[in-house]
Amino acid sequence: MCTGRVDPAIIAKAFKKGLDGLIIVGCFIGECHYVSGNIQAKAKIDMTRRLLKHIGLNENRLSFQHCSSGEATRFVEIVNEFDKTIHELGPIGGESDRVKGPELFRKLEAAEAVLAGEKMRWVIGKKTEFLEKGNFYGEVFTEHEFNRAIDMIIVEETEVQEILGKLKEGVQSVKALAGSLAIPSERVFRYINALKRKEMVQLETVSGRSPLYKVIPQGV
Amino acid sequence: MDKCIACGVCTEKCPKKVDDPYNENMIKRKAIYVEYSQAVPLKYAIDPEICLYLTKGKCGTCAKKCPAGAINFDDKEEKATIQVGSVILCPGFTAFDPSKFDNYKYIEFPNVVTSMEYERILSSTGPFQGHLVRVSDHEEPKKIAWLQCVGSRDMNKCDHPYCSSVCCMYAIKEAVISKEHASDELDAAIFFMDMRTNGKDFERYYDRARDEHGVRFIRSRIHTIVEDPETHDLILEYVDEKGGKKVETFNMVVLSVGMESSKELVEFSERLGIELNEDNFAQTETFNPVESSRKGVYVCGAFQEPKDIPYSVMEASAAACEAQTSLSDARNTLVKAKTYPEEKDISTEEPRIGVFVCKCGTNIAGTVDVPAVAEYARSLPGVAYVEENLFTCSQDSQDKMTEIIKKEGLNRVVVAACTPKTHEPLFQETLRNAGLNQYLFEMANIRNQCSWIHPQEKEKATEKAKDLVHMAVAKVGLLEPLSQPTIPVNNTALVIGGGISGMMSALGLADQGFRAHLVEQSNELGGNALRLYETPKGEKIADRVKEIVKRVKNNPLIDVYTDAAIIQSTGFVGNFETDISHKGNDVHLKHGAVVVAVGAEEYKPDEYLYGEDDRIFTHLDFDQALSSGDERVGNAKTAVFIQCVGSREPERPYCSKICCTHSVNSALKLKEKNPEMDIYILYRDMRTYGRREELYAEARKKGVIFIRYDLERKPKVVKDGQDIAITVKDPILDRDLEIRPDLLVLASAIVPRDNSAISKMFKLSLNDDGFFTEAHAKLRPVEFTTDGIFLAGLAHYPKPIEESISQAKAAASRAAVTLSKDEITVEGIVSQVDESLCRGCGLCVPLCPYGALEVRDTEQGKKVHVTEVLCKGCGICAATCYQHALSVKSYTDSQLESLVEALLG
Repeated sequence: MCTGRVDPAIIAKAFKKGLDGLIIVGCFIGECHYVSGNIQAKAKIDMTRRLLKHIGLNENRLSFQHCSSGEATRFVEIVNEFDKTIHELGPIGGESDRVKGPELFRKLEAAEAVLAGEKMRWVIGKKTEFLEKGNFYGEVFTEHEFNRAIDMIIVEETEVQEILGKLKEGVQSVKALAGSLAIPSERVFRYINALKRKEMVQLETVSGRSPLYKVIPQGV
Repeated sequence: MDKCIACGVCTEKCPKKVDDPYNENMIKRKAIYVEYSQAVPLKYAIDPEICLYLTKGKCGTCAKKCPAGAINFDDKEEKATIQVGSVILCPGFTAFDPSKFDNYKYIEFPNVVTSMEYERILSSTGPFQGHLVRVSDHEEPKKIAWLQCVGSRDMNKCDHPYCSSVCCMYAIKEAVISKEHASDELDAAIFFMDMRTNGKDFERYYDRARDEHGVRFIRSRIHTIVEDPETHDLILEYVDEKGGKKVETFNMVVLSVGMESSKELVEFSERLGIELNEDNFAQTETFNPVESSRKGVYVCGAFQEPKDIPYSVMEASAAACEAQTSLSDARNTLVKAKTYPEEKDISTEEPRIGVFVCKCGTNIAGTVDVPAVAEYARSLPGVAYVEENLFTCSQDSQDKMTEIIKKEGLNRVVVAACTPKTHEPLFQETLRNAGLNQYLFEMANIRNQCSWIHPQEKEKATEKAKDLVHMAVAKVGLLEPLSQPTIPVNNTALVIGGGISGMMSALGLADQGFRAHLVEQSNELGGNALRLYETPKGEKIADRVKEIVKRVKNNPLIDVYTDAAIIQSTGFVGNFETDISHKGNDVHLKHGAVVVAVGAEEYKPDEYLYGEDDRIFTHLDFDQALSSGDERVGNAKTAVFIQCVGSREPERPYCSKICCTHSVNSALKLKEKNPEMDIYILYRDMRTYGRREELYAEARKKGVIFIRYDLERKPKVVKDGQDIAITVKDPILDRDLEIRPDLLVLASAIVPRDNSAISKMFKLSLNDDGFFTEAHAKLRPVEFTTDGIFLAGLAHYPKPIEESISQAKAAASRAAVTLSKDEITVEGIVSQVDESLCRGCGLCVPLCPYGALEVRDTEQGKKVHVTEVLCKGCGICAATCYQHALSVKSYTDSQLESLVEALLG
């Protein structure tokens, strides 16, 4: 097995379960035992760090380092350094994280869904191609441009998953969702419409003048 | 040796210290030691010349302290006679010892080190743990100089006229790594004569070192090093290219030492009756590059000629090919197949997990409370049996484990002990002997990852060990038995390309008894080599190639298809099916392996008036003119060669490797015919690597004039009336020279063919220059990442005949590994697809490094298919698939999540 097997969704799951820090140590880039697995791993972990930062987790809780099997001293240095970092950061959801306590774990739930979801995995899977050969239209991305696109997807996907998370708790109006998630109501409205088109959300009832929405359970 | 558990207690307690030759004697090691951390097998050894017990009969501490009873002082060297059919010599080289040079003061000045010492300094397992410091004061140097050609290209001081081939590249690498290691800005300067970065992708590395990393390259040979006795800094005085005198101070100087055959090796060769050349390397021929002068004895690596890792590995495989050829009749005659009891069906059983907790003597038990861990294991769900062992890996423990598995009806096993890296195969074997599928097994590494690193925190270590056992138990309960199906192998090979490389691959296979289909697009075999004249050794190339063609055609195991093209190919290792068009007819071929030897072409220059005057040649044109006795050559009084035509240019930034030697060789042939002829070679760096350097020296001696030019100031070629007029700036005189030759030979580049069709058909990648990309530049130079497909010759990179032949035989040797089997066993841990989830989007397909995935049409629509025999179980696809349709057996999402669950609850 390779660092390329590390599934971003399981990273979020581990943090959700209260992990304070996660370090992934693999071969040096260019020396991967599985040819290119660590390049894929890097793309995935870089993205995951951006997502974790976005939802309010200190992204230094997740680290990707390189070390060869002959470099015991280096390995010890890397691990001790990370251990120090995590001790300085303290327990998850505490002072060093922008979002605290239960709110952070709710956001991690959304993050896990984003990382397991189609859009993010599709784009990350295409990263090498976009950077080297270009997309369908032949546009070659720089790392910077790619990351900008990733950041936009992170914002949208997280908000969508947060809305779905809230709706799983019970039917809600756009206004209530906007209030509790601190997302502008016109954006919530747009997401709800998109989710309706994908048959993931439906109108349940109308309370007063507010339509209330509910989640349509997705069969696997 | 079987008993040693590599705990290292012996080394820790041993009182005797000695210089550590692995670290170039810069630090000490003990009398009982392991040579280096990656040693295989990882077993400690006693140095009998140092050991107090073996030399003086006292001490014996290690034997008292060894927890495994592995030390036996009575072990003696035994002399054995082994009957063999072939011998392969690969004794390597000795680094040149610069202490005899009085001008470099290597012994006196502490901060003058050899490149071998410097490699150890940079290494994290080296004397300074990888911190870049100098020897005299352990301070980080700010300025380092590398001096090239120490012990190479030098007749005056060391009788080594040859070039050691590897030093330019390693000096650049060391300089770049040093810059990366340095905490502050480091000034790295390399003093060289010709920069010889002629290997694949080396020129790009050189360009990047200069342009991106700012390594300084100074074309000058340093004659003397002077030390400042106060600071131990080193003062270099040198003359730059314009003749100006410069003085610079460096904190450290690295001598880029070359390679030589040691005196012992020379004597050894004499005893074996192996002929050496004047430079003390094994004598070989261009067309038999790994055959020594003694029949049945083959040579490879730096013993044959100084060379780098990729070519050493190629030659090693080529030597294996030759050795196998004479042994092919005996293949598989001494093999005994091991049998195992029938595997128990556990599919309907609830998990009954056995946990074996190892004490590893005191290695684990000294830190971890093993009984507490065992007690904890008993409390875990699914655990049916727990036992503590003193050494779980000992033979009696293994026998007992087999019995317990049967008696207790265990269907899953966890061993909490050391590392799966060394011990997993052993325990899996035990499971098989007990009738259990070997994949129903997990190891918890409570030694290397726990007791060894937390000896000061015993309680915490015990808690950690419990966690590790908990995780292993959680996962093992979810494991399923995996099958290891076998697939049949077709023992025939397809060789694409009928040049020297393709023919030698086909012969290499046929001589070992395998059938080969040899497919050539043109109407004759031989390729580019048919147009070449003579090797430096005087071998007539075209004649030798014709002999090879004859051998190929007369070989009953080789089917030759000329005028043929590959139309399409399907299948995988052991089972390819390829359609070719042969003289207009479709032919369907079945084969188990593929050798890609499609060659390359000579670049047709679009500069220097090429094609506008019949006195202007490329190398291939010129070789033909030489062999046909063309009077343009016979009557010529002045000849000019221009190097790097189309190579090392921005649009083609690689070196074509063979053109420098080719031009020097042609110049010598011209001098042979007419010693009075004026010959000029206009070059950028003369890259006559290895023993080719001696041709360069001979050419200079015979009066060939070498003039260096820069890319910014290329020679100008114009027509002046009937004359060809060439203007070039002489860098030493710093003025323009004009030459009016009767012959102008352009050393034009070697360019790849259009390889896109074959690359697509067999899913092989091409590099930026259009050459095929091998699986690993250094360690797997003739393989592709896709199993069953191999690479040889110019399709890989420009190279001379002897290297093409080595690579061709290496490809045959590697292909034979597959072809010699009747069936291949598929690994158990591979990817699998849940077709009910897969949408056939194909996102995973290009990410697989092994070409194991493809989208196929099924009745349920498009679905991804895993060719299990190609899959290595890396899991990139599983971590990518958004449908979660792909997973790796034994590492599925739920199995990995069980680890997280067990750890974090």
